[in-house]
Amino acid sequence: MKAVSYIFFLLSSFVWADIVSTEAWNKKSPENRSDLISIQKRLNLLLPEVQKALVSIEAGDGAGSGIIVSEDGLVLSAAHVIGNTGKKMRVRLPNGKSAPAITLGGSEISDAGMLKITQKGPWPYIDIAAKNKSEIGNWCFGLGHPGGFDEKRGIVVRIGRIIAKKNETMQTDSRLLGGDSGGPLFNFDGKLIAIHSRVSQKPDQNFHVPIEAFHANWAFFKEKPLVTYETMQEGGFFGVSCEETESGIMIREVYEGTAAEKAGMSINDILLEVNNEPLDSREEFIILISSLEPGQEANILYQRNGSQSAVKVKLGVRPEDD
Amino acid sequence: MTIKILSILLLFASQYQICRGEQNATKESLPKKYRLNGTNTQFAFGDAREIALSTTAKLTRNNKLIAMGAIVTPQGHILTKASSCVGAREATLANGEIFKLKIKKRNEILDLALYQIISDRTDFPHVIWSETNSTNNISWVLSAYRELSEIRVGISSANPREIGREGGVMGVILGNESAKGIRITEVVPQAAADKAGLRQGDIIQKVDRRSVKFRDQVVDLVGKKDPGDVVKIQILRKKKTEDYNITLGHRSVTFDLFNRNLQMSGPVSKRKDNFPMIIQHDLPLPKEAMGGPLFDVEGKCIGINIARVDRVTVFSLPSNIARVMVSDLQPIN
Repeated sequence: MKAVSYIFFLLSSFVWADIVSTEAWNKKSPENRSDLISIQKRLNLLLPEVQKALVSIEAGDGAGSGIIVSEDGLVLSAAHVIGNTGKKMRVRLPNGKSAPAITLGGSEISDAGMLKITQKGPWPYIDIAAKNKSEIGNWCFGLGHPGGFDEKRGIVVRIGRIIAKKNETMQTDSRLLGGDSGGPLFNFDGKLIAIHSRVSQKPDQNFHVPIEAFHANWAFFKEKPLVTYETMQEGGFFGVSCEETESGIMIREVYEGTAAEKAGMSINDILLEVNNEPLDSREEFIILISSLEPGQEANILYQRNGSQSAVKVKLGVRPEDD
Repeated sequence: MTIKILSILLLFASQYQICRGEQNATKESLPKKYRLNGTNTQFAFGDAREIALSTTAKLTRNNKLIAMGAIVTPQGHILTKASSCVGAREATLANGEIFKLKIKKRNEILDLALYQIISDRTDFPHVIWSETNSTNNISWVLSAYRELSEIRVGISSANPREIGREGGVMGVILGNESAKGIRITEVVPQAAADKAGLRQGDIIQKVDRRSVKFRDQVVDLVGKKDPGDVVKIQILRKKKTEDYNITLGHRSVTFDLFNRNLQMSGPVSKRKDNFPMIIQHDLPLPKEAMGGPLFDVEGKCIGINIARVDRVTVFSLPSNIARVMVSDLQPIN
């Protein structure tokens, strides 16, 4: 009995391993027609479920797309689609049904935006990928309503691969058009990995908001007003430029005459916490600092040469960009 | 607003710096060959790639590429987009052979033209039409690219559908109707009327010499014309009547709220409306590549690329419609 189940276990692990190794979308490149057809079949298998949760967002002055991520109607979209917080909008589902919504927060840094359908659900929704689940080279597919809802045309589907990921931006070679903005990008597990943000001059290098930007600031985006470059201007200023690296949020430059310089920060320091809030992203750091006032104190925990130190700084005023 | 734009620019600038200073750093961008239209992906299409390259012809006028075409018979008949290839003189094949062309027939409704290579040969590689009609399934599609040495791949990206006629527009917003005519309350910047010199406050009195009193009359008279047509407008400005000739624009270009898309699109096809049925796909093909055949992953011809609509949208006439143009051709043996 034991032997049988052991054999079965072995067998099943073999089968499993076999499936994993032949998933065409996990190969470095599709090798032949059958790989391409596998990718096509997989896409058509995933589409019907995720399409149900796509919305077209209709404001007075334009349109965009969004994706429902909870049964009670939380919608992820782009900051430039929602515009500002507390704005009434309408969303339209693929079946043509329309519902009222109100814009929540987000951030112009990553272009992440949230809104909430105000009509009672349940709404169809999709699953969000956990953070750091997407890598350069992954196949992905996008949905959107470019130019607004069009019943005859239906949802426009895009396919591509992740070509770069940097800080709060993801780039893919999936096509994109205005009005796709705010629409979802999925991986080949059918999980949401990004939101369409902006088109690049080159049609095969478009920008998306990685789902990590939402994960890092979920509660803040849901509850606080939209972070804009204008509001940031009023907020506190630390005085570094930093970048997300594999070792963490690394300082790349310390500006002269700023709080950061006075506090003795230096290049290659890794930022860990602001006022006991662990940092998940570069954007979260910028948001936390700029949501404090100039003159307020901030506790910065950082790591240098493997050891951690804390420093208390008095934030300065953000210099005008010109 | 300026701050916003500057900040965005700065963000890009700092990212750019980061990229440059990051030689030793974590991950770079995906090498070209692995990308959606990289060579690895192109070669995965195997025979379909070969077929696309060998059965597509470049059509030229004064040695300049003006359209592509599908070789549809062993006798070298070439099917292409009629409005793109006016005056096409020569066809170049993937192997570099160049042939003179003669026109056989045109179908203005479908915007298709049939040419034939002037040659006695009866062994031209030609497309095999797909027997399955366009479905709602999302599927791989491919076409030959300009130089017939590469293909472009993508997916059929939306429902096959009819595309209605898009009338021409002047790019004005009509206001009050009065005994004198219809007042223009707004002129869309850079649109047809603006370019012709019409101004806010002008009162439209005649459209193509016919007196108008109501907004609907103007809309009807202008809407009957196509983008590119000229309409003669008589207006009243400061108690004087003046005539203007306006070359009409496309509705989508003139009024599209997202016309940033079009600004960034590069040239699009002049005619991109009024088709009985189209397949929509996203192959990155220039305007000059219209008229060429579209293939499925098996290498069957599923349509003729008939219009570049914007930077990411191409319409193709499905094979069952395009084939009508060649259905009466008898094989000559």
